[in-house]
Amino acid sequence: MAVALAAIAASAPAGAQVYAPGTPAPRTTSVPAMRALATAREVEERFRIGLQDQATGKWSASALEFARIVQLHPPEPKGSTAFYDLGIAYAHLDRNAEAATAFRSAIQIDREFLAAMANLISVDIATGNLQDARSVADRYIALAPDSARAVYSRGIVALQAGDASTARSDFGKLLSLDPAYAVAHYGLALAEERLMQYPEAERELRTALTLAPNYARAEFALGVVLLAQARRGQAREAFARACQLSTGDPALSNLAASMRDSITR
Amino acid sequence: MSRIPFRRTLLAVGFAVGASLAAYGATQAASVADLLAQGALAPQAPALLGPITSAGRVGWECKPERAAAAKGSHEAELPPPDPSPLP
Repeated sequence: MAVALAAIAASAPAGAQVYAPGTPAPRTTSVPAMRALATAREVEERFRIGLQDQATGKWSASALEFARIVQLHPPEPKGSTAFYDLGIAYAHLDRNAEAATAFRSAIQIDREFLAAMANLISVDIATGNLQDARSVADRYIALAPDSARAVYSRGIVALQAGDASTARSDFGKLLSLDPAYAVAHYGLALAEERLMQYPEAERELRTALTLAPNYARAEFALGVVLLAQARRGQAREAFARACQLSTGDPALSNLAASMRDSITR
Repeated sequence: MSRIPFRRTLLAVGFAVGASLAAYGATQAASVADLLAQGALAPQAPALLGPITSAGRVGWECKPERAAAAKGSHEAELPPPDPSPLP
């Protein structure tokens, strides 16, 4: 038996186990080509580390990784993506101006980068740069007219900028895409209220409250709309409900209580 | 993104309302509608979409870009109605 096994072993070809390399070995001696390969490897590694840092909330470390990547000018899609991820890191560090610049750079490289547009609008709203937010939102909608986020974002910007007609149109469009979204009914109601279309505003707010019964802001806005229609008793009740619903939100709760108490029976 | 300025704005608005009510009485309460007009109670801005890998935005795997183009509010990662505190 032992002899037979030895004979089989001797006749079998002896060979080492072969492992496929993770990345192919460079097959060049050209210095520029090797430098390009090294840079590409560095970009990949920094992406990996930068994303890992974001996942664990290490925003400063992540920003350093992506800032280095953009300095390396990687080819697309890595270049625009690195600017995008850099923008996210800066936004989380409250470096909103730099975040906006990074998102703008991403869009400049990739002119149809919807996620970068979406994030740029959010940062612009946070910094009060409504003019830029509106311009980006217009482009966003032109590229993706059926995007819920695009119409929602422009609706908010329009509301804040006092363009109630556009806000009404955008929240109306959003409702055609997603009729059960209570916030869209609320946004549409605010636009209607600004246009002094109080019955329409009331209808939208009541729909929002049917969809989301604990929606404190909708209850508060309903009070405002009822008051505008001189329905003081009902308005008072709405403010009282808003006050109850917003117990975790002192600012809104105080406001609702002030309104409730100001209305004499 | 900082949430503090918005809260400060709302608190300031709250004080302004209180002051105006004290000064002019409840009949002037309708002026609170101006709060809505100023956008202080506008729906909150959507949260940032998440990071993207080095593979880029094109393709089914890229969730943020899909969210940016999605038709539904949930897929688009739009904010839910409160009772969460105002931002």
